[in-house]
Amino acid sequence: MATGAEAAGIGAYPAISAAVAIAVTALATAWAQAKIGAAGVGALAEDDGLFGNVLILTVIPETMVIFGLVVALVVTGFI
Amino acid sequence: MVKIKPAEMTKISITGPKSQLETTIDTLHDLNLLHIEDYDGELETGEPRDEAEGLSELLVDIRSVLSKLPEKENRREKQQASVEEVQESFEEVRSSVDRLKSEIEISKRRIKELEEEKDFYKALKGSEADLGKVRSTRSLDVAVADLKIDRFREKVDTDRYDIFKGRKASAIVFEKEVSQEVTSALQEASNEVHSIPSDLREGVPSEALRSIESDVQDVRDDREETEEELEGLADEWAGKLRFVEGFLTERIEKAEAPLNFATTERAFIAEGWVPSDKYDTLEEEVANAAEGKVHIQKEDGGEAPVKHDNRGPVQSFESLTDLMAVPKYNEIDPSAIIFLTFPLFFGFMIGDFGYGLTTLLVFYAGYRMFEGAQDIFKSLMWASFATMAFGLAFGDAFGYVIFGENSVLATQFGLEIFAQIPMLFHRATHLGQVFTVSALIGLVHVNGGYLIGAYNEYSKHGLKEAFLEKGSWILLEVGVALWYFVGMTAGLPVMLIAVVALYVGEGVEGIVEIPSLMSNILSYFRIFGVSVAAVALAAVVNGIASTAFATGGLLGIAMGTAILVIGHVFNTFIKIMEGFLQGIRLHYVEMFGKFYEGGGKKYAPFGARDAS
Repeated sequence: MATGAEAAGIGAYPAISAAVAIAVTALATAWAQAKIGAAGVGALAEDDGLFGNVLILTVIPETMVIFGLVVALVVTGFI
Repeated sequence: MVKIKPAEMTKISITGPKSQLETTIDTLHDLNLLHIEDYDGELETGEPRDEAEGLSELLVDIRSVLSKLPEKENRREKQQASVEEVQESFEEVRSSVDRLKSEIEISKRRIKELEEEKDFYKALKGSEADLGKVRSTRSLDVAVADLKIDRFREKVDTDRYDIFKGRKASAIVFEKEVSQEVTSALQEASNEVHSIPSDLREGVPSEALRSIESDVQDVRDDREETEEELEGLADEWAGKLRFVEGFLTERIEKAEAPLNFATTERAFIAEGWVPSDKYDTLEEEVANAAEGKVHIQKEDGGEAPVKHDNRGPVQSFESLTDLMAVPKYNEIDPSAIIFLTFPLFFGFMIGDFGYGLTTLLVFYAGYRMFEGAQDIFKSLMWASFATMAFGLAFGDAFGYVIFGENSVLATQFGLEIFAQIPMLFHRATHLGQVFTVSALIGLVHVNGGYLIGAYNEYSKHGLKEAFLEKGSWILLEVGVALWYFVGMTAGLPVMLIAVVALYVGEGVEGIVEIPSLMSNILSYFRIFGVSVAAVALAAVVNGIASTAFATGGLLGIAMGTAILVIGHVFNTFIKIMEGFLQGIRLHYVEMFGKFYEGGGKKYAPFGARDAS
């Protein structure tokens, strides 16, 4: 019985590449958000009116993992 | 009718003789319309009324007492009382509260001490040593330690001792004369030497434990009595204090208002802003109250405070706008846009009838529990309704397909009618559709942002700027589309024109920003990501539960049910977080970035409750 990538009709290399694309960008996003988040909470402790700004700064790195998602979709032939 | 800009404000000045100062302030406070502007000119600012200081002190004291009184739901109500009545008995109430509070503290500490003593005797439980009696003799002493008995016997240079072994620790009773030998041997042969309470109880450890228990009970009873007394005091006074607190806050606000006014020896001038449509009301009321002795006139200039001017459901979305930044006076208030698209994003991402219901429940609970955030929860409830609507469209409820030919309601329960209900498409099987829709949403949303930006530029600087700064972006997109669909010869010239226009409009910064256009639109693929993850997460829970159900038997069914409940509760909160954060950030970052400036001053009329 075909399993995993084979069943989905994707070669092994594209499947691995997709996994790497997602994994690395997700880690990069997480690392960046961890730093920004920590600083942001510090700023909020001083002035909670900054919530909107802190939220925006925190979510900026998410673009990376979205790119990762797009790359993964491209290499697996989804788009 | 949706107003797209904040309410129009008019700056006014009120001039009058000092004799009318008090009446004017009272009237303004009742009207709750004037956003007072701090005076900073050459004239002196007014003095607060004499009573301000004394009242402030009383207010601080009342608040401190209120914070010490126990909270009870039905005690929140205010209860009519006069300041004099409260002032008269206040010292008494305060000292009673302080006394009862400190008695409760002492009881708490005493119970803690007793608990520690209990631990001491518990370790010795099972031994027959009556420590109290030993201490009372003149020649004997006692030490308690986690003892390695054999090793101790080896090390100690005397036999004038006896060991009573307890459950965890041992008591060594020895003659005082050999205390040195015993102590030094103890150090080598024990893990820990326990300190001995100063008052040892009579009797063997089990008896001592019983007497401690009864002491603890006594202290607890005392404490309960004290707490009841405090409750009684709170029942009698909390409502009254709260009433007077509210009253005093208002009085002090009024008493301190002159600090923001300009004054001369005999006159005062107050400046501030009123919503333009309320100007007539204010003028009439103030003039009436002061019997025509004050003069009100419109003034120019200054930065107007921002009062959102939305109707109906859009009002609750103002809080989401302010969460990012209060809009500037002369720019478009984006609350209506959030109202239009945020619930749709949230609904599309979660898109599940079941989760629509559970999130609605959570938001309603939040609405009832957090008074300060009611508007946000109200706007989130709209998102829940959208989630339910999309859930019906996708035929999804808690990850189960409910409509169409695969409907579990039809296949499992024989409710064939549900198989007849058509659905849009099921997201797990039509990923491509979700993907395309996400991209389209992105395109529309980002360009919507540019259009609003163009409108803002147009109303501030005119048509040319609007085209150069915002229109050029749209033209650039058109160019790309032409290249893709028609060919390079059609697309490239348009793109070049767009880039030049952008350079003229925004300078080098505009050119540098070009790649961000792509990343902004790609960013909307998160809608696809969250949407697919939402279906998958629900399906995972159902899958795990179904294996449990499949084992059959009572245990299997119980397990399966537990997994379903815990899993879907967990999912509900995950989805709230994802749906809210991702949905709102697409507005704040991707869309607002195209037009929103923010940084306005919020309209805070004099007299408004909860203005601070």
